[in-house]
Amino acid sequence: MENTTIIEFHHVKKKYDDDIVLDDVTFEMERGKFYTLLGPSGCGKTTILRLIAGFTEATSGEIFLDGKKVNTIPANKRKVNTVFQDYALFPHLNVFENIAFGLRMKKMKQAQIEVKVKEALQFVNLAGYENREIEQMSGGQRQRVAIARAIVNEPDVILLDEPLSALDLKLRTQMQYELRELQKRLGITFVFVTHDQEEALAMSDEIFVINEGKIQQSGTPIDIYDEPINRFVADFIGESNIVQGKMIQDFLVSFVGQTFNCVDQGMKPNEAVEIVIRPEDLEITPTEKGKLKVEIQSVLFRGVHYEINAIDDAGNNWLIHTTKKVIIGEKIGLSFTAESIHVMRHDETEEEFDKRLGAYMEGESNA
Amino acid sequence: MYKVHNKSSSFAKIYLILIFLLLYTPILFLIFYSFNSGGTMGSFKGFTLDWYRDLFKDMRLFLIVLNTFAIAILSSLVATIVGIFGALAIHSYKQRKTRNTLLSLNNVLMVSPDVIIGASFLILFTIGGIKLGFISVLLSHIAFSIPIVVLLVLPKLTEMNPTLMDAARDLGANNWQILTKVILPYITPGIFAGFFMALTYSLDDFAVTFFVTGNGFSTLSVEIYSLARRGISLNINALSAVLFLFTIALVIVYFLLQQRSNLKTMGVRK
Repeated sequence: MENTTIIEFHHVKKKYDDDIVLDDVTFEMERGKFYTLLGPSGCGKTTILRLIAGFTEATSGEIFLDGKKVNTIPANKRKVNTVFQDYALFPHLNVFENIAFGLRMKKMKQAQIEVKVKEALQFVNLAGYENREIEQMSGGQRQRVAIARAIVNEPDVILLDEPLSALDLKLRTQMQYELRELQKRLGITFVFVTHDQEEALAMSDEIFVINEGKIQQSGTPIDIYDEPINRFVADFIGESNIVQGKMIQDFLVSFVGQTFNCVDQGMKPNEAVEIVIRPEDLEITPTEKGKLKVEIQSVLFRGVHYEINAIDDAGNNWLIHTTKKVIIGEKIGLSFTAESIHVMRHDETEEEFDKRLGAYMEGESNA
Repeated sequence: MYKVHNKSSSFAKIYLILIFLLLYTPILFLIFYSFNSGGTMGSFKGFTLDWYRDLFKDMRLFLIVLNTFAIAILSSLVATIVGIFGALAIHSYKQRKTRNTLLSLNNVLMVSPDVIIGASFLILFTIGGIKLGFISVLLSHIAFSIPIVVLLVLPKLTEMNPTLMDAARDLGANNWQILTKVILPYITPGIFAGFFMALTYSLDDFAVTFFVTGNGFSTLSVEIYSLARRGISLNINALSAVLFLFTIALVIVYFLLQQRSNLKTMGVRK
C-alpha cells in the first residue's frame, strides 16, 4: 500500500547564525492535498518550503519525503518541484525549452519530451506557445509556464512560493481557481506559501498558520476561521473583535460586564479567556433589543458591505460588517448568537486545543 | 547625450567635426603618403603601390603578423577561460567586503602602468628561468587580459537572478549542468565582450611586450617601433594603413553583431 503521508517534519529547527527561523516544527502532510503555509513575512514559511525543496539544510530534526529521510539529499535528487515567486524562468530559453529543462536533465528522448511538454502546456492553457520567448509572455502567462515547468516532471510534491503575488487582483483570483482545479486534476500534493489569508481560505484543504517560527494552528479553512486558537490566528485570519473575558462555567462566559451563553466548554471555572466575535456575526438592532449598546464612530463603504467602527460604554472598539446604512454618532444595539462567540484560552497549545475540541465534539454526539 | 546638444546643434556639430578631424588627420596623413612614390613624407611625388608590394613580399614581416595574431588569439582564449572562473569565484563570495576587496585587487592590475607590469614580468621570468620569447609574451598577455575579462563578465553574473540557479537545481541539474546550461548561456554576452576586449588589448600592446620579448621574437607594435627608430621608411605607412583598415573592419563587424542583438531584443519586447 502506498504511504499516505508524503511530507513529514520531525522537530525541525533552523537557525541562521543566532537567528532562530524555525523553532521545533513538527507536522505531516498527506498525499494529494492542497496545503497552505500562511503567515506574515519573516515567519518562517518560506524556510519550510526551502527545506522541503532541499535548498537549505535543517539545523536539527528530521525531514521525510515519502517515508525517506531526506535531510542531506540535494535538491536535484528530490521528487519535488518549485514554482518560484519571481517564476525564475530561464531568459535564454524559449517556452518549450524552459518546460523541457527538467526532462532534458533526466536525459529523456526528444520525442517523449515533445509529447510531455505539449501535454503540460495544455494543462496550463498555453497550447501553441512553444516557440515564444519568455520576454514575449505576460506576467500571467509566465506564471503558467512556471507551473508547467514544475508539473511536467511529475513530482510527488509541488511547492509554490507566493506565486500569485505579482499578479493583479483579477488575474490572481482567476489563477486561484485554476490552481485549485489543476491540483485536483493532477492529484499531486501542493504546498502553497502565502501571506494572503483570503487566498489561503479560498484554495486550501488545510492551512498551517505560522508565526515566529512556530506552527500556531493547522486545520481546514473553516476550522481555523471559526475556531482560532489564539489572538494571533484570530487577528491574522479575517478581521475580529477580541475582548478580554472570563469563563464562568461551561457554556457561560462573561465579558464587557455581562454574561452570555456560549457553546464552549472544558475550561477551569472563572478562567480568564479572550473572546472573538467576527464583524460579520454582529447584527445591528434597535438599542433596546441589543445585547450590547454601542455608539457609531466611523462608517466606511467597502462595496460589498459597510465597515462600521463603534465603541461601547466600557470603551471597547467593535468592528461591524453590515449592509444596513447607519449614521455616525447614532446609538445602536448589537446582537449575536451563542455560536458566534469564540472563546480562546491563553497559551493553549495546539494539542490541548484539539483535545478540548475533540471532547466537546464527543459530548455533542452523545447528547 | 544627443538630445541635450540638440539646441546648440550647429556649434556642437562643428566642435565634433573639428575633434574628429584632429584625431583622424595624422592617420589619414600617414595613409596618404603610403602611396607616395617619393621616399619621404616631405612631398608627394606621384602615386605608387610599391610600398604595399614590398610589404607583402616581406616574409619576415608576415611572420611577425602571424605571431601577433597567434599571441592575441591564444592569450585572449586562455584569459577568457581563466577570467570566467575568476569572475565566478569572486561572485561566489557572499560577503560584500571580501567581494569588493577581490574586485579592487583585480582593478589595480587594470589601472597600473604597463611599464611596471612589463618590468615586473621581466624580473619574474628572469628569476623563474623562462626564456624570453613566444612563451613569455604569451604568458604576460594572458596575465594582463584576465582582469579585463573578469571586469566584463562580473556585471552579467551580478545581474543574474540567483533563483535561476535554485530553479535549475530544483529541476534536477547538478553543479556542472547549472554552470553549462544556465550560467554560461546567461553570461555569454559578457564573455564575448571580454574576449574581444582582451583581443584588442593584446593586439595593440607595446609596453609589456617590449619588456618580455626576446631575441628573434617580435610582435607588430614592437616591430613598428624598431622600424621607426631605424629611420622613416614608407613601409611603415603601408603597414599602418593595412592595420587601420583591418581595425575598421573589426569595428564594423562588432557593430553589426551588436545591431543584430539589439534588433532581436527590440523585436522581443513588442
